[in-house]
Amino acid sequence: MWCLRILRKLNHFERAHLVDVATPLILNLPDLLNRVGDDRELLSELFFIFKSVFPTHLQALEAAISLKEAKTIASESHALKGMLLNLSAVRSAAAASKLEEMGRANRLDGLHEALAAFQFELTALLSQIEDSAAELSS
Amino acid sequence: MKILIADDDALSRRLLEKTLQRAGYEVTAAENGLMAAQHLCTSDGARLALLDWEMPELSGPEVCREVRRKKDQGYVYMILLTSKGSKTDVVVGLGSGADDYLIKPFDTEELKARLRTGQRILHLEGRLVEAREDMRFKATHDALTSLFNRGVIMDLLGREVSRSRRDRVPTAILLGDVDHFKRINDTHGHPIGDEVLQEIARRLLLSVRSYDYVGRYGGEEFLVILNNCPSAAAPGRAEEIRMAVSSVPVATSIGPLSVTMSMGVHQTDNWGARSMEELLHEVDSALYEAKATGRNRVCFAKPASSSGRQRAVPVEPAETLS
Repeated sequence: MWCLRILRKLNHFERAHLVDVATPLILNLPDLLNRVGDDRELLSELFFIFKSVFPTHLQALEAAISLKEAKTIASESHALKGMLLNLSAVRSAAAASKLEEMGRANRLDGLHEALAAFQFELTALLSQIEDSAAELSS
Repeated sequence: MKILIADDDALSRRLLEKTLQRAGYEVTAAENGLMAAQHLCTSDGARLALLDWEMPELSGPEVCREVRRKKDQGYVYMILLTSKGSKTDVVVGLGSGADDYLIKPFDTEELKARLRTGQRILHLEGRLVEAREDMRFKATHDALTSLFNRGVIMDLLGREVSRSRRDRVPTAILLGDVDHFKRINDTHGHPIGDEVLQEIARRLLLSVRSYDYVGRYGGEEFLVILNNCPSAAAPGRAEEIRMAVSSVPVATSIGPLSVTMSMGVHQTDNWGARSMEELLHEVDSALYEAKATGRNRVCFAKPASSSGRQRAVPVEPAETLS
């Protein structure tokens, strides 16, 4: 009962975050809509920018992992993490953050597994973005 | 208010741009740190900046350091925007000269609130600069006429004579005194006398070039320094200035008053080794001569010799104007 009472007191934004913490979403759309001021046109534009920009960073990250270039791994993961955080893509941002940490610490074991996990999250995210974009335009 | 966003991430840039435009800011965007530093270091650049930490060319903290190095411009309020959040990062960021720090992804309301804080600081800085400039003006200008005060015009005279000596360029010193000013004060009262002095100051300023100097020497006396004024031009210039004062009656709150001015002039490119006091004494003697020979006229100190007092030579107005 006390949980319900607290939940009722929380506003929409806070509730979105609470859900985030408990079960991270692939794409936290309420949080994202709040960030863009409920501007759906801007949101579509951001999705478009992301889809145009992320492949370059991902390719650079994959190449850096193959070459074991820790500095580039860190910087490319950081760039991807920044974009994903802005999109409220919590899970893929966390996967990018893990890669960034590994790059910064020059910890090169397990990089391929971390990359695979990141790619998995990205695939899921892209699918969610497509769904959300379709939903927004309808 | 103008704001600069510096971020190499196009998505973040667009999001910030739109958010800030909606909040009423005039947004300029930079894709890297170098562009940001160049923009912020220009005189008409934004005074409020949101800087990403990691950027190509120059990082956010490097941009802050670069901007803070330039001390000759107005204050720039800089907020670092980054996903770095450790205490060490905060210390490094603020140590580089940033004013504030915001963690990505930003919360719109928090971002706007922090920017308002920045605006308050900039507004305060603007008021302080304004107050400083006001004090500087009051310390260097005469309160009644807004001309340079005696201290400043004497300083400028010293510099100009030194320059004239060094570069052998001719300079003219004019000392003007309003004729029968005491009578104006006694007849119409000091407020009218003040109005007359204000108008004369205005006319003197209008009659000289932008690089000449005009100051209130004291009471109803004015000192004018004409830079680069050759001997052939000096009588004509002095006469023009005298005419500028006396040709049209001064409009006062009790009606128009005819006012004239007597002037002593010293012009040369060879000042010898005489002190400033001696030079002023010579100009003053020429002014005395102008008064003694009928007022409303210009008298020149005799062409300089390196020692001894000068005898004033009157210049007939009709002669110099023709």
